[in-house]
Amino acid sequence: ENSPAPLPERAIYGFALFLGSWFGFILYLIWAYIPESWLFSLGLTYWPQKYWAVALPVYLLVAVGIGYILLFGINMMSTAPLNSTHTITDNFAKKQQQKKFQEEAIPALRDIPISEVNRMFFLPER
Amino acid sequence: MAEERRFRSAAGLPIALRRRQHSASCRELALRGPRLQLRSLSAATSAVWLAAYGLFAVSENSMVLSAAIFITLIGLIIYLHFVKIDQESLLVIGSLGIQVTSSYASGKESTTFIEMGRVKDVVINEAIHMQKVIYYLCILLQDPEDPQGVSEVVPLFQSSKPRLDCLIEVYRSCQEILEQRKTAPQSN
Repeated sequence: ENSPAPLPERAIYGFALFLGSWFGFILYLIWAYIPESWLFSLGLTYWPQKYWAVALPVYLLVAVGIGYILLFGINMMSTAPLNSTHTITDNFAKKQQQKKFQEEAIPALRDIPISEVNRMFFLPER
Repeated sequence: MAEERRFRSAAGLPIALRRRQHSASCRELALRGPRLQLRSLSAATSAVWLAAYGLFAVSENSMVLSAAIFITLIGLIIYLHFVKIDQESLLVIGSLGIQVTSSYASGKESTTFIEMGRVKDVVINEAIHMQKVIYYLCILLQDPEDPQGVSEVVPLFQSSKPRLDCLIEVYRSCQEILEQRKTAPQSN
């Protein structure tokens, strides 16, 4: 089954990911800091421009910052406007089946129409 | 007979509700918002003219000053004619329909009439509006072929945005008239 318990396979995946991320980080530091002439003398001539060692982290951070604003905007855009029927009902409520009323039993759970709710809340008890 | 009561809008501004009963099945409810204040008008005008004078002092171009005067005048006219709603009123006629009127500060009136056959109910609905949850009154419209479903929602009093106590008053008045629909015989 699916359980969150530690397993030998998960330990191996975790250690491989740990080694891989350390290797990637050391590689990034080498690429960013070691002068080009030294890399050329080692024979590594086809690595990307060092410009990207600064540009990519900046791109990522700006993207994260814009992501906050974008998420906020997407939320505002998907809120139903005041004149839409989505504030009142939806497909599930329209298609719900009415169970028969049984004496002495708790009524079944259902979506109550808004007119009925309004009458109960706002009109004085008769 | 007419009576007027003071309430607050959702933003805290004072509004006045006036109820008039024309007959047993006809009622008019009018919500009047606050008038354009002289102090806010002079504050906006002085701000625009100070900014224009600052620009003139920097750029030495006298067109900036005349442009600022022009913009202020045109902006005021547009605001009074298209934006500032003075009074919103609801006229419920039992057997005929519901009429919604908005009167602008320049005197313009915009009217919508909904016939009673299309009106399902008038309810107070809650919805999310600009990081707030507000109560607002709305007319539920139904399709003549499908009387069970809601085809459209028409929100009312959009610019004066009254609070729940005022909405309950309006709701009760409307429901008194709408209930007569069920007891009265259908005449078609």
